[in-house]
Amino acid sequence: MIIAERKPIDEILGFLVKYRKVLVLGCGGCVTVCLAGGEKEAGILGSQLAMASRKEGRPLEVVQKTVERQCDFEYLAGIRHLVKEVDAVLSLACGIGIQTCNEAFRDKMTWPGVNTRFLGVNLNVGEWAERCQACGQCVLDRTGGICPVARCSKSIFNGPCGGSQGGKCEVSPDTDCAWALIYDRLTQLGEVDSLRDIMGIKDWSHSRDGGPRKLVREDLELESGK
Amino acid sequence: MSTGANFQPKIVVFACENSGWLAAGHAAELSLSYPEKVNLIKLPCSGKIDVLYFMKALEKADGTMILACQKENCKFLQGNIRAAQRVIQTRHTLKEIGIEEDRVGIFYLAANMGHKFAEVVQNFYDKIRELGPNPGKVIK
Repeated sequence: MIIAERKPIDEILGFLVKYRKVLVLGCGGCVTVCLAGGEKEAGILGSQLAMASRKEGRPLEVVQKTVERQCDFEYLAGIRHLVKEVDAVLSLACGIGIQTCNEAFRDKMTWPGVNTRFLGVNLNVGEWAERCQACGQCVLDRTGGICPVARCSKSIFNGPCGGSQGGKCEVSPDTDCAWALIYDRLTQLGEVDSLRDIMGIKDWSHSRDGGPRKLVREDLELESGK
Repeated sequence: MSTGANFQPKIVVFACENSGWLAAGHAAELSLSYPEKVNLIKLPCSGKIDVLYFMKALEKADGTMILACQKENCKFLQGNIRAAQRVIQTRHTLKEIGIEEDRVGIFYLAANMGHKFAEVVQNFYDKIRELGPNPGKVIK
């Protein structure tokens, strides 16, 4: 899932200082699961904003709403009437949802309420770790299901490098060496010899090197008549 | 806004139905009095409390607290521990916006502690009265 973290309250208050009525818009997707921008977090932030502004003597009216997903225009269409009544929107969705809101609600600014951090896994309550960089050409089949792109600090394909000590990365003692993990995993599976195979050069044109990416699947098209 | 000597704070008390809520009933049986502007809300366990509940309460109240079972005596094992954590989280949330952290609290008692209930509520009420009106109160 996409992992996000709420922006500092002072930064958010700074965005909203010129408005009298705002919509705090939560998202029922990833940010709900990572406890950054779901219905509950929208409610808490809404209370904080209302109370902080009241304390400062500039009462801000806060409307709260959470939609199923902010990254789908269909769900945003259903709250157009709410957006019409406010001066601005504060989105607690990831960067995708925030941009979708700005595309859907052209005449109002949608401000970001969270910082989108990475694509990751939930390790414990309040603890997440990166697992994927959406490089566009998955190599997990050759690395024991452990991603060297996201989990190796250098994203190298011929690790471990000289900075790997005792299974840890030189970048931080809290960071596992991805290539040590890969070696251990393939050993466990009895397939460590597969590391002798020469990996072809990765085609990074599927990643960010080609600019903003777009995926079109014509097989899913329903309305073009093709 | 009420200020000074006439200030009568509004308090929202969330109470676990296995301890605080029963203690309130016990206090009533003993004809013990506590301040008028105290709203009691029953929860199935103190672990049901959430930062959101506290914050929504503080939009209309001057102080809020949770009455939980005594330590290591929660019917659901960890409810009172979780409640204490959520009080800490709420205090942090209030601190972020410059509102006194002491406007939220947690107290532990048992079902047969009617006297303790009246004392805890009165003490909290007095403390909030000293703090004065909640500057962030949205609903007057």
